[in-house]
Amino acid sequence: MKEPSPREPGWRRPLQWLKPRRTIRPTRDGWWCLGAAVGLGFAAVNTGNNLLYLLASLLLALIVVSGILSEQSIRLLHLRAALPEEIYAARPVRLGARVLNRKRWLPSYSVALEASHHRLYIARLGAGDERLLTWEATFTARGLQRLPGMRLLTLFPFGLFLKAGRVEVDDEVVVFPAVRPLDSAWRRRVAAGGARALHRRGRGHDLYSLREYREGDDYRLIHWRSSAKAAALIVRELEAETASNTRIVLVGDGTRTAARLEAAMSEAASLAVHLLDAGAAVELAGPGVYVPPGHGRGHRRRLLTALALYDPATAAAPPGGRSAGASEIEVALG
Amino acid sequence: MSPLSSRALTAAIYLLVADGIAALFLGGLLDLPGLVVVAALVAGSWWQESLRHRLEPLPWLGAVLMGVAGAALVVEIVTGAGGMLDVFTHLLIFLLLVKLYTLRALRDARDVTFLSFFMLVAASPVTTSLVFLGLFITFLVVGTWLLMLRHLMNEADIVAGPTSRIGRDLVHLALASSAATVVVTALLFLVIPRIGQAALPLRAQTSRMVAGFTERVQLGAFGEIEADATVVMRVHLTSFNGGGAPETLPSLRWRGVAFDHFDGRTWTVSRSTLKLTLRRELPVPFPVHQFYGGPVLTQEIRLEPIESQMIFGAPRLLRLHTRSDFVTVDDLGNVAVPQATARLQYTVDSEPEIGDPRRADIADARQPHEPRWQARYTQLPRVSPRIHALAREVTAGSVDPYDAALRLTAWLNGELAYTRVLERPTTDDPLEDFLFVRRAGNCEYFAAALAVMLRSLQIPARVVNGFQRGEWNPYGRYFMVRLRDAHSWVEVFVDGAGWVTLDPSPRAGAEASAPATPAVLWLDSMRVSWYRYVVSFSLHDQLAVVDVVRQATWTLGATALRPADWRPGFRLAAAGAALVVVLVVVVGWQRRRSVAAGAAMPGFYARALRVLARRGLAPGAGETAREFARRAPAAPWAPPLAQLTGAYERVRFGGAALAPDEAAAVDAALADLALAVRVKGH
Repeated sequence: MKEPSPREPGWRRPLQWLKPRRTIRPTRDGWWCLGAAVGLGFAAVNTGNNLLYLLASLLLALIVVSGILSEQSIRLLHLRAALPEEIYAARPVRLGARVLNRKRWLPSYSVALEASHHRLYIARLGAGDERLLTWEATFTARGLQRLPGMRLLTLFPFGLFLKAGRVEVDDEVVVFPAVRPLDSAWRRRVAAGGARALHRRGRGHDLYSLREYREGDDYRLIHWRSSAKAAALIVRELEAETASNTRIVLVGDGTRTAARLEAAMSEAASLAVHLLDAGAAVELAGPGVYVPPGHGRGHRRRLLTALALYDPATAAAPPGGRSAGASEIEVALG
Repeated sequence: MSPLSSRALTAAIYLLVADGIAALFLGGLLDLPGLVVVAALVAGSWWQESLRHRLEPLPWLGAVLMGVAGAALVVEIVTGAGGMLDVFTHLLIFLLLVKLYTLRALRDARDVTFLSFFMLVAASPVTTSLVFLGLFITFLVVGTWLLMLRHLMNEADIVAGPTSRIGRDLVHLALASSAATVVVTALLFLVIPRIGQAALPLRAQTSRMVAGFTERVQLGAFGEIEADATVVMRVHLTSFNGGGAPETLPSLRWRGVAFDHFDGRTWTVSRSTLKLTLRRELPVPFPVHQFYGGPVLTQEIRLEPIESQMIFGAPRLLRLHTRSDFVTVDDLGNVAVPQATARLQYTVDSEPEIGDPRRADIADARQPHEPRWQARYTQLPRVSPRIHALAREVTAGSVDPYDAALRLTAWLNGELAYTRVLERPTTDDPLEDFLFVRRAGNCEYFAAALAVMLRSLQIPARVVNGFQRGEWNPYGRYFMVRLRDAHSWVEVFVDGAGWVTLDPSPRAGAEASAPATPAVLWLDSMRVSWYRYVVSFSLHDQLAVVDVVRQATWTLGATALRPADWRPGFRLAAAGAALVVVLVVVVGWQRRRSVAAGAAMPGFYARALRVLARRGLAPGAGETAREFARRAPAAPWAPPLAQLTGAYERVRFGGAALAPDEAAAVDAALADLALAVRVKGH
């Protein structure tokens, strides 16, 4: 997950202060209330009738109390994004936000979180309590994407005014290219690179050892000849296999068609994920991008991040050389 | 969601409707038959859903009913059959009934709230009753509750979020909101400038014609009202510079109108009376009577409309503060203002009669040696010689006129009986009948008899009508004067002392009316406060409040600058205030600390990143904090960074602040990190 962005430059901070902390907009009921208060005030001034002054004061007091209580409800509420570690383009993902009530004594009532087109409601959030709110979203493109701004708002207590806080979480996330299952053509290309025994138990094809049958073993693995000799059921243990170490080479500069470039990024990402899951060491090379061979989750993130952030405009010549014993698969950028 | 699906919301809706209709009734905009009809229709709307199902086969019925009612309203408006306020009231009732019979959506609850509110608005110009305050408070509390409940139901309806937990808090929230609204309403009411025309209601109170306070009064005029307990006047004694509690002053009464001419049955203000109409030129009080140098009693008086233009106040009335631009003063000491139909509020300064008048020697209070003056105040019709004889007999041996007057007063007080039964079976002279036949009468007969007997002895005297002091209300600290307190007495001229009050009526001993209960007194005090601080609140009052606040602030500020002069209570308050300030600062500081600890990027981790950044070590794009910490496991800074990263994850994702021991460990790890980075640098 990306860390919070650094603070604004010094010269911008005063401008931040100029931004209102809250925005207030009357609802339809609020407009009614305001209109009635103005009308009554006019009538009171015109007639000097103190009871009309009293009723006008009541409407104004409702507006004032509404402002105080809504501020009390929304103040010291802290909003933090809760994002998944990996976000892939074109794949639905659950985004979330944690709302923390930092008030020491007072709960917050009737607060809504507005994010993108979603509005999530919290009826009551006790003092010091935190609530996780989640919603589903889909990023259509890879790369650095701006998160939909989130803000807290409330109509509490009378529904007369909509009070909203500033947009608080306004950050960027790295969206990896879309990862899809490899189609048959790509599987053949991967298989052409060959498989490599890993000299440990696994699910490959070569025999690793024999042992006595244990409950739950696959019957198809019973070695009948050895079983006959030993007068007990003997099963085969197979040797683990992995795809051979692979170098994915991005060919071309990707400047011709954007659609082809995005498809190529998706293919490269899908290929890299497939190979890493199969245990292969994967290396990525292309114009302006190079990730040395590696395994594991961290390496997968590095590869996907490199593909996510690939920009043909800043591409340079691909580095030469090739890791010993690695097969090579080319992905055309177009 | 339908409002009827919530019992609480339904109850609130009908409470508000009842409140609004009660306001219309209170203001006289709805008479009793109308109230019954509207109440029945409102009650019928409770079953509107089942009614709607039954009437589904008649879809035109609703349209026809609405059309007829709408047409009636249009006719009423066009023909001007009722006043605008009546038309407005009928429109409100019509819309309310339509809403109640078509109550389906939550927005209908809002509409009912507004309609009920406007019913209060409609009633406000035509009532000043204290009951309005009760209806106002009811509307405020129930309306607040309804608006809050409706909002929460609406939100739950839209976003389908969990709302169960808030239900328990709703009552407390609504009550707190209501209390806050009451306070803010009171403050706003206080500060909104009164730049309107008047502080009086649009429609004046229906005044009541009360006999006895005009310039012509027949004997027995008070008979009807002497049993009426209606409160007509409230007298606040605001200041008295004579020492002691002013409410304990003896013989306190409220003088209204004095008469100088008697025809045997009727007392009148003679045509020869000199009258002077004073026009206000400056915002100063109107002068009424010459000041003799005694203590001054200030009274703030609220007089209900009794169809009398007279100003009442304790004798001798010196000055009058009133909003009226014209005041009429005559040489009998009568004061009148030309505003008989509205409630009157004014302040008078009086110089009460204290001490023995025979000891007074006021140069300005010498008896004029004018025959006309003497003739005016000793004028008599043809009266029975028996009355003259009786006067001489009672006053035989008197040392001076005042002594004679006292003897006559004591005789009347002791020998004759007080009664309110005034039927006279004979056509004899009323005073003769009173003195020699019935030997009983009300205060008017006693006063007339004394005045006539004094005049028969050539002692200047006049009859005065006014009110007895009334009942002291300790809750509001004012005298509550009722119609039955209407009273007559006599003023006799004492050389060197002026006109002196004498009351020959043994009324106090004869009357045995039960005193008002504490509840009645308290309620009346509330009513007075309502009139004083709400109905009659004016720009003048606002300025007075501002002045009080300004003076209090100035006094407080001046005192605060001289700690040596602080009183013990002030010292205690100052110490308490200082303690509160310290507590607020400490709590605020602790809260800022806890807030800082729970921030998105804990401070200690940001510091660690800055330390590493000085050596060119920074997390890469897409690299998590944990990955960054594991980037170089063999590096000397890896162990402290791993420790800091663990703490960072606990704080940031665990949502918890660091415990004191954890904070100490983090500080140590930061120091180790800084050292490791420095060593690597070397």
